[in-house]
Amino acid sequence: MWVWFAKLGSPKWFYEISGRWLPWMSGAMVLSIGFATVWALLFLPPDYQQGYTSRILVVHVAVAGTSLAFFPLMAVAGAITLVWKMKLADMVAKNAAPIGAWFSFLTLATGSLWGSVTWGTWWEWSDSRLVSMLFQFFLMIGVISLRSALDDNDQSARACALLAILGCINVVVIKYSVEWWNTLHQPASAVTIGGGDVNGPEFWVVTLLMILGVYLFMGISLILSTRNEILEREKNAVWVQEIANDS
Amino acid sequence: MLSTIQFSSFSDFIDMGGYAFNVWAVYGLFAIFLVANLWLPLKKRKSIIRNLKRARKGQLQDQ
Repeated sequence: MWVWFAKLGSPKWFYEISGRWLPWMSGAMVLSIGFATVWALLFLPPDYQQGYTSRILVVHVAVAGTSLAFFPLMAVAGAITLVWKMKLADMVAKNAAPIGAWFSFLTLATGSLWGSVTWGTWWEWSDSRLVSMLFQFFLMIGVISLRSALDDNDQSARACALLAILGCINVVVIKYSVEWWNTLHQPASAVTIGGGDVNGPEFWVVTLLMILGVYLFMGISLILSTRNEILEREKNAVWVQEIANDS
Repeated sequence: MLSTIQFSSFSDFIDMGGYAFNVWAVYGLFAIFLVANLWLPLKKRKSIIRNLKRARKGQLQDQ
């Protein structure tokens, strides 16, 4: 277990193993996102209330759900950095923030494009789900600016870990906002326990497929940018020189 | 389970039951988001490797 843990912290080991994962992950991502998109745009029947705007939700639900994984990931990576001084964990935490900002922004944009039809409004300041998701976007921007303002050292890792913990509290608020304050945004209805299936299997099967694809995409994007960071930080290592010469 | 194609013509498909702007804007943004977050790190990788090669060449010339 500890040998494995120490290995995982080695940038070289991560670079090699992730290089072997990437083709499989990419293939699975293209298949799941491609299939889900074609299915959603061509085959998904219109919702009796929303018409074809229900197709927006396939993307919105997948991206929004995945966006909630970023701050917990950054908090765990931050804790590992602070406790075990693992360089790799710090690189993952750093590179997750820009991708998380993209995810949060797309969640807000797709939500607005759906709400403008169904709710008749693009934005509602009194809705807790909308405002807490906007807060998550700003927190991501905060982490990115902290990283660029402070040099990569213990201080910046500590500051970002602290912001990530705040982000985790906000994730809980986002998740339960629709139950605590019942304003505009509806609770999840795709899969309900007890047979109260509002949307029917066509909707949630395609959405689950999209969620799988978007999670794979998150992993691939994060691995690609972390590998770049490894090459930059270890540029004087012999194995990095060999990669440069071979390609 | 798998229902049939919902549209009888291509213009029907583009129209999305009257919600063309909203539906296509979402899928357009989604496509940009996917391509950008894969293309940008891949582009950066190319420039890192180019710089590594250049630095290596410089070292060899110095020797």
